[in-house]
Amino acid sequence: METTSVLPLLILVSSLIPGTLILLLREEQVALRTFLNLSGAVAKVGLIAWVFVGYLRGQEYTFFFRLALDLTFSLRVDQLGLFFAALSAVLWLVTTLYAIGYLEGGKHRRRFFAFFSLCVTASTGIALSGNVLTFFIFYEFLTLSTYPLVVHRGTDKAVEAGRTYLWYTIGGGTVLFLGVVGLFVLAGPIYFGQTEIIADLISVYPTQLSILFFILLTGLAVKAAIFPLHGWLPVSMVAPAPVSALLHAVAVVKAGAFGIVRLVYDVYGIGVAEHMNYLNVLAVFAAFTIIYGSLRALFQDDFKKRLAYSTVSQLSYIALGVAIPGVLTSTGAIVHLVHQGIMKITMFFAAGNVAETYGYKNISQLNGIGRRMPFTMGAFTIAAFGMIGLPPVAGFISKWYLGLGAVETGSYWVVFVLLASSALNAAYFLPIVYRAWFYEPEYEVSRLRSSGRLETQALLLIPVVVTGLLSLAAGVFAAAGGSPLSIAREIAEKLYMP
Amino acid sequence: MIWFLTILLPLMAAIIAPFTPVGRRLSGIIFFTATLPAIWLGLVEVSGVTAQWFILESHFSLDTPRRIILLLTGILWATSGLFAGSYLKDDKRRNEFSFYFGAAMAGNFGLLISAEVASFYTFFALMTFASYGLVIHNRTPFARQAAKIYLVMAIIGELFLITALYLAVQSAGSMLLADIPAALAQAPNGRFIFLLGLIGFGVKVGAIPLYFWLPLAHPAAPAPASAVLSGAMIKAGLVGWMHLAPVGLVEWPSLSLLMVSLGFMSALGAAIYGLTQVDPKTNLAYSSISQMGVMTVILGIGLYGGIPAGLLLPAVALYAFNHGTAKALLFMGTALPAKVGGSWRILMWAGLGIGVLAIAGGPLTGGLWTKYLLKTFLGETTLPGAQTFLLLLTLSAVTTTLLLSRFLHLLSKIKAPSENVAPAFLIPWILLLLAGGWWTMSPILLPAELMNYITKEKGIMAFFWNLFTNWSAIWPITLGAFLMAFTLKFATLNRWPTKEPLLPPGDFVHIILLSGDSVTKVFQKGISLLQSFMQSLNGPEKIFYNISDDKRTQQISNSAEALLRRWEFVGIGFFVFFLTMFFFL
Repeated sequence: METTSVLPLLILVSSLIPGTLILLLREEQVALRTFLNLSGAVAKVGLIAWVFVGYLRGQEYTFFFRLALDLTFSLRVDQLGLFFAALSAVLWLVTTLYAIGYLEGGKHRRRFFAFFSLCVTASTGIALSGNVLTFFIFYEFLTLSTYPLVVHRGTDKAVEAGRTYLWYTIGGGTVLFLGVVGLFVLAGPIYFGQTEIIADLISVYPTQLSILFFILLTGLAVKAAIFPLHGWLPVSMVAPAPVSALLHAVAVVKAGAFGIVRLVYDVYGIGVAEHMNYLNVLAVFAAFTIIYGSLRALFQDDFKKRLAYSTVSQLSYIALGVAIPGVLTSTGAIVHLVHQGIMKITMFFAAGNVAETYGYKNISQLNGIGRRMPFTMGAFTIAAFGMIGLPPVAGFISKWYLGLGAVETGSYWVVFVLLASSALNAAYFLPIVYRAWFYEPEYEVSRLRSSGRLETQALLLIPVVVTGLLSLAAGVFAAAGGSPLSIAREIAEKLYMP
Repeated sequence: MIWFLTILLPLMAAIIAPFTPVGRRLSGIIFFTATLPAIWLGLVEVSGVTAQWFILESHFSLDTPRRIILLLTGILWATSGLFAGSYLKDDKRRNEFSFYFGAAMAGNFGLLISAEVASFYTFFALMTFASYGLVIHNRTPFARQAAKIYLVMAIIGELFLITALYLAVQSAGSMLLADIPAALAQAPNGRFIFLLGLIGFGVKVGAIPLYFWLPLAHPAAPAPASAVLSGAMIKAGLVGWMHLAPVGLVEWPSLSLLMVSLGFMSALGAAIYGLTQVDPKTNLAYSSISQMGVMTVILGIGLYGGIPAGLLLPAVALYAFNHGTAKALLFMGTALPAKVGGSWRILMWAGLGIGVLAIAGGPLTGGLWTKYLLKTFLGETTLPGAQTFLLLLTLSAVTTTLLLSRFLHLLSKIKAPSENVAPAFLIPWILLLLAGGWWTMSPILLPAELMNYITKEKGIMAFFWNLFTNWSAIWPITLGAFLMAFTLKFATLNRWPTKEPLLPPGDFVHIILLSGDSVTKVFQKGISLLQSFMQSLNGPEKIFYNISDDKRTQQISNSAEALLRRWEFVGIGFFVFFLTMFFFL
């Protein structure tokens, strides 16, 4: 047991070390940098697979480090954390490949890849943290490590976006900090899963704990882009495509969503949260965000901006699922962590490919693009159908569980929200699909990048095809063992076990 | 294995036929081959399987009504696949056509063999969205408009459908489709769930008032695609209804009367409206709506109770079988008059005539005796007004004959080639003619229970003798044909439009579109107002950021940012926090 307990730390180190080493390299050392990056990414996937197998055999992996008297830095492997860590690791590997192709010949790649690695370290840290304090450390670490990525291009617009990003996230971090300290003062150090602590205290400090819940929720809601704290997300899409992809799929927004999941399930516990009516408040905000994000997306012509508003909307599915107590909705929420990730990353890769290959950034320019980039747009189409909730793509599975769970608990209004959102998703994604496949290309253009016989560079094409197929496979094989759904269902069932 | 092949082969065909050189040459054969497992399953009873890995654990199995419809579907896709192979040989978008054709085929077979909700919904959606590519195939403004209306209606249908399925699965406590009717019969909100399903599937069936996309979309597609759209895919909605309807388990007079009266409205109204059309395919599309109306009537009778599902549902399926084969024959037939010349035209007219007779319920066709089944049910049911409905049914035979003889008349206007030629796609058409609706009487399709029910103590031969010498079935057809011939013959009475339809196809969709236009204008005005308002705010989500960037608050914001940089912000955070805590504790 003693030897294995370092494993969680190793998972973090697998991206932390390449990140720091890359900072020490010179800009021209492309080969070494790429090697470091990829070996880190592969190692992380391997380590997580290793831990996963061990976990299934009943191994416990925990890592402690005492910071101060009562403050412990703790990494612990549980099913939910591992689920999220696996998502981060796999998508990081894919995105690293994509970024290498995307930034080929660009400036400041050393800085980019270094912070890219640090960013993933932070998000796996969030996944594996064992208590509230550790979670907070990585949460803030994530904010700081993503800032250089958002402003990477260095244009005025990017710097401006970066500033907005900081305003929101540092603000959110501060609020979260208040909550974390408050929780510590009232309840002592809380490890995730120790819901009995709050359950015992809630009758003693009902007001204080309630206020703390909402303080914590506000801090997390900034990253989870819940209305009205979502403003940074559409602005920061000026970042390069791989950054947006990672930001929207796993790193930042998911940190917030994952935090909300942890807060409700593993800190306060569903029982308390439901009893104290916290969940109703969360549900209303989540539902409003779903509709609001979709409505805003409808009127964007900028491809990435439309995707960004769609993220705002889709993320709140997770919050909504958390807010409706029940095994089915919890399953839907947890599985949507992964499903939204793989679908949205596919869409951003596709948008990036189109922009890099032909220079098209607006949806109105996409006429007939499907004929020129069939694989890219094919993957995009799969992801778009998934977002609408059409089977057999992953998004259908999430929506099915959310909707069925809502019906089961009698929250019929949630079904209406889901339906409205599906209709709106169709209204803003299908026109893209329609333009791409059913319009004739308007004029001939030369490509910005030469790529031989392929529709675009191989390093740009492979990731989008892989994630597109993953989105499809997550739906088609949802009932198979080891699918995201089966794991999510297991996690959810454990939550509701007496 | 054969269950998976039923779905997998069409999917493979969707890839092979358009994207490989061999596939492009032999697409007809490939599509034909891909339907073989489905036809096999339609003919031979095979025990069901479970696929534990697929979507949300799928089950594949068939019951009698669905087996009948699967056989129909298999035959139609096989023949129209062969037909398309040569009909679209020189079409520049034939590869795209092959892709959507194969995908829609996979969806259509898949939904028929699915015995559980998730995979049924999956394949239903696959079929719906893949056939969008068939509707828009010609890329004309008309086709684009039709496809758009089709898509909007399809999505509305899907939304109703998924709601119905959520509720149905919840009340059944099981994902199996077979458990749903019984659960709906028990559940307090069973009627509501069924109504949702009625609307959701009603879009596909073309029930009043959800049918208006159909006369636009079905004719917009190329002939072989129209054939499967109107012959096979339209039946998917019917199958959906059959999955939900608790036939024989409940007495739902209001829903039953609703379905029966809507059915008769379609049966008569669509046929009459179709008379105003000048495009033979639009004519047929209206005839499809009218015939689906008759099937709606049969199901509606079932909801009144008294007739067991084991009798009623196979009867609906047999009616669908007869209509499907005949309708596909006629739809593909619309491509023939311009290409078939000389003595081949005799064969062509004979075939078309048989198709028309089969739909109208003429002697010696499946149409006659499937209609007879409906009459038997109407005779036995306690449904109020059953006698009136019997009369209406007879009247619908008159209107159908009128409509379809008008169709034949329109075809006869098409200029024939002068030499004695027959296109290659005449062969699959003849195949379909041979495989047509008379199967409905064969023991392969006809369940023994139903057979006993209709023949009673008389033998089967006596039954058929009775049936076919029953002149009461023939006079409506004669009357219809006579009326058409009479009005055509006398110039003073001949007011049939020839160039432009008297009334636009898709009837009241135009009212919707017109009112939609004005609503859109108001809406757009509202949006632009809202947008200018939002721009004046620079987007509501930027408020926070805007304050920080405003000239007047620049000073404060700068100092705040400086504070942030010095990490003293956190210190203030501490301070505020301790104050709060002090206040609380």
